[in-house]
Amino acid sequence: MWNNFKNGFIKENPVFGLYLGMCSTLAISTSLNNAVGMGVCVTLVLIFSNVIISAIRKITPDEIRIPVYIVVIATLVTIVEMLVHAFMPELYTSLGVFLSLIVVNCIILGRAEAFASKNGVVASAVDGLGMGLGYTFALLLISVVRELLATGGIAFYNPFDATQQLFAFSLEALKPYTISLFSGSVGAFLTFACFAALFTWIRSRSSKKEAK
Amino acid sequence: MTELLSMALAAVIINNVVLSQFLGICPFLGVSKNSKSAIGMGVAVIFVIFGASLITYALYHLVLVPFKIEYMQLISFILVIATFVQFTEMFIKKYSASLYKSLGIYLPLITTNCVVLFVAQDNITQGYDLIETIVNSISVPLGFMLVLYLFSCLRERLDSADTLPSWKGNPVALVVAALMALAFSGFAGIV
Amino acid sequence: MDTVFSIYGIVCAVILFAVMAGIYCSAYYFNHKTPKPKGCENLKANCDGCKVTSCMNNPIHDYNKGDNKND
Repeated sequence: MWNNFKNGFIKENPVFGLYLGMCSTLAISTSLNNAVGMGVCVTLVLIFSNVIISAIRKITPDEIRIPVYIVVIATLVTIVEMLVHAFMPELYTSLGVFLSLIVVNCIILGRAEAFASKNGVVASAVDGLGMGLGYTFALLLISVVRELLATGGIAFYNPFDATQQLFAFSLEALKPYTISLFSGSVGAFLTFACFAALFTWIRSRSSKKEAK
Repeated sequence: MTELLSMALAAVIINNVVLSQFLGICPFLGVSKNSKSAIGMGVAVIFVIFGASLITYALYHLVLVPFKIEYMQLISFILVIATFVQFTEMFIKKYSASLYKSLGIYLPLITTNCVVLFVAQDNITQGYDLIETIVNSISVPLGFMLVLYLFSCLRERLDSADTLPSWKGNPVALVVAALMALAFSGFAGIV
Repeated sequence: MDTVFSIYGIVCAVILFAVMAGIYCSAYYFNHKTPKPKGCENLKANCDGCKVTSCMNNPIHDYNKGDNKND
């Protein structure tokens, strides 16, 4: 179970390893706040959908399992969207449509089909947590690079109260050389490509080591 | 009329779904191996988005608003899209083998294509009327198809290029996408 | 989403949800019972956008083998 949990980060990272959930990763990773908020939302949906789908796996007719998964996921995303709207209005505005697009995020449907439909409730919950944290980890990496290059610093606000700054860091040496392109789509694609190549390289190196 | 035209042009080129809104990246990378599959996927997406947008528009204004259950928007929209895709696939399977060969095989990929849900939601949040909904739900997937086709033409040469092993496949494709996004950002401000 | 959650609205929502989910499940079921046209049995989209081999559209996915290595 520990291995399952650990795999989600580097070896089978859902974003850089399996290329799942790319749309939201590219769009949301403009700032650290968005990345953390989106990561937590996806992780929550992933854990609960994995648990529910694993719990009902024996009574789900095999022919219509995909529709059942989609209905379960859509219900959970609606709940999460309402909670975020009620308690974190700033995050709700900055995530925008991508919050509701969690429904069609392939990480969730993919884990439901590949893992939760075949394993027990506890194992599925751990798998959901691991994959969700792997997704969050990927979002954090991209958003830190992009925010640093685009604004020369990183700031993190309390998601419940946007006027309260929890953490701020800025590199004065970098300020004159900020690249605003990195807050837009070009920077998103480039950063993603670099990280994807890096992760492929790490994986090929570690599999070579194992072969020896 | 001019407003509608400029809206369509903006949706196709300036606010392109793939390159500036980051939607539909998976089919953009997955089904762009050759220009034939790019066109097949593109036409299937246009058809599904057009049909699903009309149904969701009607559902929202005729059912959700009168009964004051707007909070059901997301869940009912995804069900409409998924059902529409299933019905379309069933009819194509039954009545036309050639249509199935060129379009039908891409339909299973469309349920989880975020562009479809995005357009359906966008029509509501932007407060479009029926005409604007029709224009929007044709021009957005048209932009998707344009970029998919252009990318597939590049991809055919990219696959035979000599790239570093860890950059092969998706990473180098994403670099090309970044360059395309850079080129398309030059269109900003023409409308 | 400043909706008032009335009992009446919730009943409507549940009915709408049940009807739509029912239509979707039956559409899915009947679509999968409809055979593919002749000569198209082994055609698939061959989408390699992601590396999930359990997806039906992945070129590596094998119809005869239900298992995959993403478990």
